[in-house]
Amino acid sequence: MAELSFNKDHGYLEGLVRGMKAGILTDTDYHNLAQCDTLDDMKLHLQSTDYGKMLSSSEEDLTVSLVDSKLRENLVTEFSCLRSNALPPLSTFLDYITYSYMIDNVVMLITGALKQRDVAEVLPRCHPLGAFDPMAAVGIARTPTELYSAILVDTPLAQFFQEAVSDTNLDEMEAEILRSKLFKAYLESFHSFCKSLGGATRDTMCPVLEFEADRRAFIITVNSFGTDLSGADRSVLYPSCGKLYPEGLQLLARAEDHEQVKAVADCYPGYKIMFDDPEPESGCKTLEGRFFEQEVKLNTLAFLQQFHFGVFYSYIKLKEQESRNIVWIAECVTQRQKSKIHNYIPIFK
Amino acid sequence: MCSLLRGEEMCLAQLFLQSGSAYDCISELGELGLVEFRDLNPSVTTFQRKHVNEIKKCEEMERILGYLLREVKKADISLPERDVNPVAPLPKHIMSIMEQLQRLEVELGEVTRNKDKLQRNLLELTEYTHMLRITRTFVQRSVEREPLQAQYEEFPFLEKDTMLEYSSMQRLGAKLGFISGLIQRTKIQAFERMLWRVCKGYTILSYAEVEEYLEDPDTGEPSKRVVFLISYWGDQIGQKVKKICDCYHCHVYPYPSSNEERNDVVEGLRTRIQDLHTVLHRTEDYLKQVLMKASESVYTWVIQVKKMKAIYYILNLCSLDVTNKCLIAEVWCPVDDIPTLQRALEEGSRKSGSTVPSFNIVDAYGVGNYREVNPAPFTIITFPFLFAVMFGDLGHGAIMALFALWMVLYENNRKLKNTRNEIWNTFFEGRYIILMMGLFSIYTGLIYNDCFSKSLNIFGSGWSVKAMFTEGVWKIADIRGNRFLTLDPNVTGVFTGPYPLGIDPIWNLASNRLTFLNSYKMKMSVILGIIHMSFGVILSTYNHLHFKKKYNLYLVFLPELLFLLCLFGYLAFMIIYKWLVFTAKDSRLAPSILIHFINMFLMQGDGMQPLYPGQTGLQKFLVVIAVLSVPVLLLGKPVYLYWLHNGSNRIGMYRGYERVRRNSEEELYLMRAHDMEEGSDHSDLSTSGERPTEEFDFGDEFLHQAIHTIEYCLGCVSNTASYLRLWALSLAHAQLSEVLWAMVMRVGLRMDTTLGVLFLVPVFCLFAVLTVSILLVMEGLSAFLHALRLHWVEFQNKFYSGTGVKLCPFSFSLLPSSFEHDCLL
Repeated sequence: MAELSFNKDHGYLEGLVRGMKAGILTDTDYHNLAQCDTLDDMKLHLQSTDYGKMLSSSEEDLTVSLVDSKLRENLVTEFSCLRSNALPPLSTFLDYITYSYMIDNVVMLITGALKQRDVAEVLPRCHPLGAFDPMAAVGIARTPTELYSAILVDTPLAQFFQEAVSDTNLDEMEAEILRSKLFKAYLESFHSFCKSLGGATRDTMCPVLEFEADRRAFIITVNSFGTDLSGADRSVLYPSCGKLYPEGLQLLARAEDHEQVKAVADCYPGYKIMFDDPEPESGCKTLEGRFFEQEVKLNTLAFLQQFHFGVFYSYIKLKEQESRNIVWIAECVTQRQKSKIHNYIPIFK
Repeated sequence: MCSLLRGEEMCLAQLFLQSGSAYDCISELGELGLVEFRDLNPSVTTFQRKHVNEIKKCEEMERILGYLLREVKKADISLPERDVNPVAPLPKHIMSIMEQLQRLEVELGEVTRNKDKLQRNLLELTEYTHMLRITRTFVQRSVEREPLQAQYEEFPFLEKDTMLEYSSMQRLGAKLGFISGLIQRTKIQAFERMLWRVCKGYTILSYAEVEEYLEDPDTGEPSKRVVFLISYWGDQIGQKVKKICDCYHCHVYPYPSSNEERNDVVEGLRTRIQDLHTVLHRTEDYLKQVLMKASESVYTWVIQVKKMKAIYYILNLCSLDVTNKCLIAEVWCPVDDIPTLQRALEEGSRKSGSTVPSFNIVDAYGVGNYREVNPAPFTIITFPFLFAVMFGDLGHGAIMALFALWMVLYENNRKLKNTRNEIWNTFFEGRYIILMMGLFSIYTGLIYNDCFSKSLNIFGSGWSVKAMFTEGVWKIADIRGNRFLTLDPNVTGVFTGPYPLGIDPIWNLASNRLTFLNSYKMKMSVILGIIHMSFGVILSTYNHLHFKKKYNLYLVFLPELLFLLCLFGYLAFMIIYKWLVFTAKDSRLAPSILIHFINMFLMQGDGMQPLYPGQTGLQKFLVVIAVLSVPVLLLGKPVYLYWLHNGSNRIGMYRGYERVRRNSEEELYLMRAHDMEEGSDHSDLSTSGERPTEEFDFGDEFLHQAIHTIEYCLGCVSNTASYLRLWALSLAHAQLSEVLWAMVMRVGLRMDTTLGVLFLVPVFCLFAVLTVSILLVMEGLSAFLHALRLHWVEFQNKFYSGTGVKLCPFSFSLLPSSFEHDCLL
């Protein structure tokens, strides 16, 4: 029934986002980009795509970081256009997308403060999608409790803090744990929000978020090898909304090395392929790269249905992946690593 | 005339340009705008082409120009958009332009940076003075509060307690500190809350708003600021407070410890602000000077750079010769213009503006096939005519014509031409056709004798009421007793003869006016429709003849024309015959054409009074011919082509022998043309190795012809009916204007007191507004639409396929000329 009145409130934005999706670079674009010899060539080619004059309007010399920031700026412009036109519940949905960037920013600022970096130096590196006012003050806090009660209590992130409140002093390890805890709460909350929306939004978003949750669980496990994070500590950090919940997570908590993680993944056909030994001709792709590939696949599926919010999430994620691709190619071009240039992840084949 | 009727003959030419002079040649061709370039290296990506560096340079210049234009616009200097058309600069001059531009950019950048810095400085100083002024009131307020505290001296131990705390604080080495500054008004609430939470109440915050709007240096928008003063205990808290201030982007200024210091600072600030103001003014003046200088030549530069870029794009389309000494370009070019092209390449500076006539109303449907008959020249007349048949009103037509005339007279007005209003542009582009439509409407309005739903009695009506009395048919009592009386044209003197032009004005008074006009307009639209369609069919012969398909003439055109004329042409004949033969005297005997026409198909009607002797026989003959032409149309062409294809071997041999004897090439060419005329097969030609065989598929051909036949035969019926829209729309227009007159104007005219004159003014306003908005604009658009449909569907499907490709020549004049159109701004 929600489909009946969907277009009344969100039809314009859905149309907009589908139009913007048509501007996502195609295989031929990537092929042409990969042939470039300098960044100027890339700029020339990007001019013929939807990016248009994005890169040519600056006077400075082209660098990879400039490309990166311009791409990011572009994404933020598009997102803020969507957000400012959105009505509830889409506006809440879009806000949820920004929360993950906020979490990343908070953790980055904390680690920055721990390393005695100046806030002004760290701030520009924060993702603008996750910017919020008292962000710069994060460095004042000494413990997560302080962080919560003093700074984040009236930001949207407060709702994720219920489990993360502790009085241990913040160090780098603690910051990572804080990130994981926040992400867990965030993913679970987002998941239940999408579930409550129901309809096609639930059908498209839940698999994506479940995948995201499972990916975090795997990554936490793999990264914890060699640190003093015990299995029990780990299991607190696993988001419980994925497909791995509950048996897979228990198994993961007990895993001691890479082989055991692989054994867990073998039980789940969707994740089995990620841990399979790489075939020699496919190039050596990292675990992270394969997860990204899988994420892209899942996100492209969202465009097959209509009247749902998944397209917004997917568009932002795909665009982010596209920026990563362009930056990767730009890096390869500047460092003359032509052999690795094809390791980008094409989006629409 | 030939080039008007058909598109220009085109040829594919190869240009060999010396690499040294290629640039100039292309520049010349661009000014000329005759030829369309083909891409000779489509496989090469954009950044691998030859002149990519030059294009990059052009883009760099465009960027600087865009920057210049933005700055000029920001400074409110008007851009001189003169009608100059500078030629593309020589490649060697590019560097000098580039240098000039770069120098300007650097200079401008420096000045604006300085200006920004000064403005920021000024803002800081003003903020500081505001802060000092406002914080003084805070202090004064606390001074005022001191006497209040005195009242509480009855509770000494409370007072003592605070004293104690204060002293203990002092003992602990904690100092009372102040931080003061300005913050955005929207942020003060969050700021206060944060301060409270982080410092757990060890701070006192007092704040007040600045009354003036201060300009935000980043966005340039004026915004309200709040001055705050925080007093805190202890260094640690001070650190935190400072950090919080940082994260809320507060502008913090040192807080003077004493009143004397404050006064000194205020004094110092005032002088500095004055100094800054003068410096800022100087900088702005200088900036304006620089921009003025730049704005003089910026227009020329923009055009030059655009032309240059276009030339390099074209050069990128050309391919290099093997020897690398000349460039090869392939162009589509009208054959007639080849001499011009050569002249342009040889000499350089000749200009010619030859264009193929095209008509947007036809082109919107489809661009004609190569060398197909172009309906545009006929449409120029028929379109406004059919429009006017539906829009027939002298007054409305005159208004429309005057409006269009105004547009035509002022067409060179820059303001009219360069507007960005899309709806206005649509009208403006069509000003000539609107003028024609208006003039034709005046004509049909005269014929209908309709002017704002009233009739004009110019020549005096041919009917006389007086005669009815003199002949004694009517008595005075008849007029008293009856509401309606019928004039009898058979009484001598009542009807003296037809009105010289159009409908007699007396019909405007008649109660059966509608019946009379309906019958007239309906028949007229059928006749017009049949003429229009027959004309379309006849035009198709030009195509058949031109494409050397003579068999189409006999096997397609002839049956089509016969079918149309035998059935519907005969209908038109009957209508005219009835008009001519039956007069007022024997009008009671006049038969119904509809019944006769139906009987014609049923092959009966012996029981009826014939229109003329031998009618039944003629009708049977016509129906038989029409029915017989259908199978000819259906089978003739495919069977003939099949026969040609199968019998080709025999005939081909025979012709081949003949050809051996004449081997001069010109004769061969003539022969081929001769063969084509006779519908010769293509395999024959292919034996000479110059033309590939065209695949022949009988099934395909038959299917196409079957579809065409069905479409045509059914189309004749439905298209004839479709022309009745002429009548319907014309009726609707006349009735609407009559309703408007009766409901609005007549109300005003009925009042006969002096007040009526005053009342007439608003009534006339309403009448005028409704006339223009409903009758002219809305009705005009609908009549336009229907006229368009009659041309596209009913007329053009008889002969026009419209699947051609338009030539889009490389021409500088097609580059966007105004600043708004390009993305520089």
